[in-house]
Amino acid sequence: MMLFPLPAWRRAAVVLAALAAAVVTTTTATAQTGVTVFRGARIHPVSSPPIADGTIVVTGGRIAAVGGADVQIPSGATIVDLAGLVVTPGLVDASTTLGVPDIDLNEQGEEVTPQLRIADVLDPASRDFVAARRFGVTTVQVDPGNRNVIGGLGVVVKTVGDTLAQMLVKDESGLRLTMGAEPSSGNRAIRGGTPVGIYYRRPTTRMGVVWETRQAFYAAKAYLERKTDPDTPPELLGTDPGLEVLARALRGEVVVHTTARAEQDIRTALRLMDEFGYKALLEEATEAWRVVDELAEKGIPVLLAAPSRLAAADGAEVRYHTLNVLAQRGVSFAICSGAGDAPLPLIHEAMFAVRNGLAPAKALEAITLRPAEILAVADRVGSLQPGRDADLVVWTGDPLDPTTRVHAVYIGGREVTPR
Amino acid sequence: MTTRQAPDPRPRRGATHPSSPDPVRLHPMLRLPSPLVAAALTCALLSAPASAQDLVAIRAGTVHTLTGEPLKDAVVLIENGVIRAVGQDVEVPWNARVIEAKDGVVMPAYVLAHTIGGLSGSNENMENVPFLTVQDAIDPSSEFFDEALRNGIGTIHVIPGNRTLFGGQGMIVRPSGRTVEEMTVREHSGLKLSLEADRGTSRMAQIRKLRNVLKDAVDAKAELDRKRAEFDKEKEAGAIPADKEFDGKLDEQKQPILDLIEGRLPGYLFVPSAAEVPEVERLVREYPDMKLVLVLGPTCHKAADRIKALGLPVVLESNALEYEERDPETGDVSVLCPAKVFADAGIEFAISVSPGTSSAERFPWWQMAAMVRHGVDRATALRSLTTVPAKVLGLAAEFGTIEPGRVACLQVLTGDPLAATTWVETTLIEGEVVYERAKDARLKLLFGADGETAGEAK
Repeated sequence: MMLFPLPAWRRAAVVLAALAAAVVTTTTATAQTGVTVFRGARIHPVSSPPIADGTIVVTGGRIAAVGGADVQIPSGATIVDLAGLVVTPGLVDASTTLGVPDIDLNEQGEEVTPQLRIADVLDPASRDFVAARRFGVTTVQVDPGNRNVIGGLGVVVKTVGDTLAQMLVKDESGLRLTMGAEPSSGNRAIRGGTPVGIYYRRPTTRMGVVWETRQAFYAAKAYLERKTDPDTPPELLGTDPGLEVLARALRGEVVVHTTARAEQDIRTALRLMDEFGYKALLEEATEAWRVVDELAEKGIPVLLAAPSRLAAADGAEVRYHTLNVLAQRGVSFAICSGAGDAPLPLIHEAMFAVRNGLAPAKALEAITLRPAEILAVADRVGSLQPGRDADLVVWTGDPLDPTTRVHAVYIGGREVTPR
Repeated sequence: MTTRQAPDPRPRRGATHPSSPDPVRLHPMLRLPSPLVAAALTCALLSAPASAQDLVAIRAGTVHTLTGEPLKDAVVLIENGVIRAVGQDVEVPWNARVIEAKDGVVMPAYVLAHTIGGLSGSNENMENVPFLTVQDAIDPSSEFFDEALRNGIGTIHVIPGNRTLFGGQGMIVRPSGRTVEEMTVREHSGLKLSLEADRGTSRMAQIRKLRNVLKDAVDAKAELDRKRAEFDKEKEAGAIPADKEFDGKLDEQKQPILDLIEGRLPGYLFVPSAAEVPEVERLVREYPDMKLVLVLGPTCHKAADRIKALGLPVVLESNALEYEERDPETGDVSVLCPAKVFADAGIEFAISVSPGTSSAERFPWWQMAAMVRHGVDRATALRSLTTVPAKVLGLAAEFGTIEPGRVACLQVLTGDPLAATTWVETTLIEGEVVYERAKDARLKLLFGADGETAGEAK
């Protein structure tokens, strides 16, 4: 079930072509300002049907044209010959903890910290970004950890750059909210005695997690009412940056990225969403297969981790057909790393989704265009069409074949392949 | 158009491997009663076929025999659990039970040369326990064995883990049967020993301890020999009654070590990194009769030339296929494929999979494809889970290929064994169907076939 079944002679040609292309790409480093033409590869624009012998024209780091062999090649352009290879958009991982050391993911001073910004601690020099590029991942959302009820604001960045400004795609891209047992796990109530550890804190149960969420949004609601009332004296408005962030969520300006794995937690997440009227998406929704009707009806996007894995957190049950069911019911979904220890090789996870019955085209969408749409950055990344950033992955063959390798990675038209 | 007929339809009777003290145990079905009856059976076969129960034919779109090029549209004929014939013009007897796999691929069931799967607890805390055997720790109802059949694995060498100096003895099992006895292919298949320095032990100390255990066994043997000679002398002199026999013996801790040293019990030596390879060389030099299989960790490829010179059978740990190495100076991480280095060095190797875990490494197709992704050729990849592990276990005459005379441990796949979209349809062990995907309750549950999914009910 290859996306592009290559004829035998083509397959043989791949190796030679790969060698030739390697020479070309290393000797003619594509400048961000000049015009570069990628020629001869099979192209998956994702936003439109695949092109057998495709051409991509890149100007100033952006895609100027995508088409077949007949696309006009500007004179003086640098030509990159990719004959026998396959090109997809750079992969988009909608949920990661890349570039942030574990110890900096969870602020334990308080349980509700909407004002914290992961962008402030992101390390552009982190090897995590090199590892991500090695797997063809060019855009990621980095989120705060899951140990707080409301963890803070995420950021969408490219996986290359010396400074945050160079990497930045979208700041404050989502507000992290976590349902279930994770924010309460390990916590202990203070019953007399001396609180000597960080774990002497609330909440200690699922109920407590939900209550902390409610309490925060009730306060934000009251704050918003005061704020919109012209008669409120300024001294009564206060200056709580956390309330300001929550108020933005209530106004629909920030999407609440809600981690909820087990069915009960997913239902609670949906209930809270209705109660306060904020925009939400579900992360690591392992048991989404049990709640498909509601997700389809409400049009809630779902981020799912690792179709290759059988184990899941929080007592949630994994099903192989989860993505197939979501696809059948028209629920928008993306495959992403989530709050795991290491970034996932997204392409391999898409491959496992195909193994479990998802159509190859849908699987490729789930790691490119869908996550870009869900993060509201599809105007820049996730597909190959004019005006989009020239973020490309060149593969040695069908990207969903386990024997295929990443041949080259381009971000903004510049080659950034880890060696 | 290759067709081969088995010269003798009963090659299995009393089969033993020369290097092993223990016979290969086959199902009762495969044990023919006596040469006389067998001869009668053979004669009967020429005139009228045997009972339908004993004949199974698989009609396959492709047969990977592992002895040469794949055969297209071929038949594998199984008689009494043994492969009788394979080829494109093999006739299917009228009374054979036929397994249709016209769009499928048939190949030998995979052989795992080294795994801790199916054990409850694989590393004993005491460091010198060569008398332990996994026979007492294998749980026949372990999901590991179900998962093995689901992935086309038919022969498994279960052996203690890598973290004990002398961890105990392994056994070769088929992943089918209600008791350990029913599962047994061969007992006392090998002794596990490890060069990995455990918690609080330095590499020096580990090596020292290992050498001490070996030396103690040699000394104990010498002492026993001396006592025996003394006994014989006194017996000759009449000081001991003539009907009395010498009854001294080594203790249970030393006897398996001596069996290892003298080559009666194969040793599976875990070598965690290239740094331990020189010690392996010394062991081989000092104990030339020892039959060692090297179980190699992820950096051993750096000593590939010296490992090649040793000429010992090699099993790669599951993390030695694709491995991330961090440069200590720059911090740069590069992904290496140690298996590729071994393949380039001309070293034959078996690989490991980790069934029973949640990671992708639980799938044989994934493990083989990972190597191919890094440039190992497909044939080498396929051999690393079939012919090579069979050879490592001393069972090359029984398992690992599809040819007349081999035990019929086979798998029927939906397609290319290295493709992500391929599933195992049927697994046969000794000619008997022990797994069918259509009847796999676990897969049915994972695919929501029981109507529990809200979305599918509509």
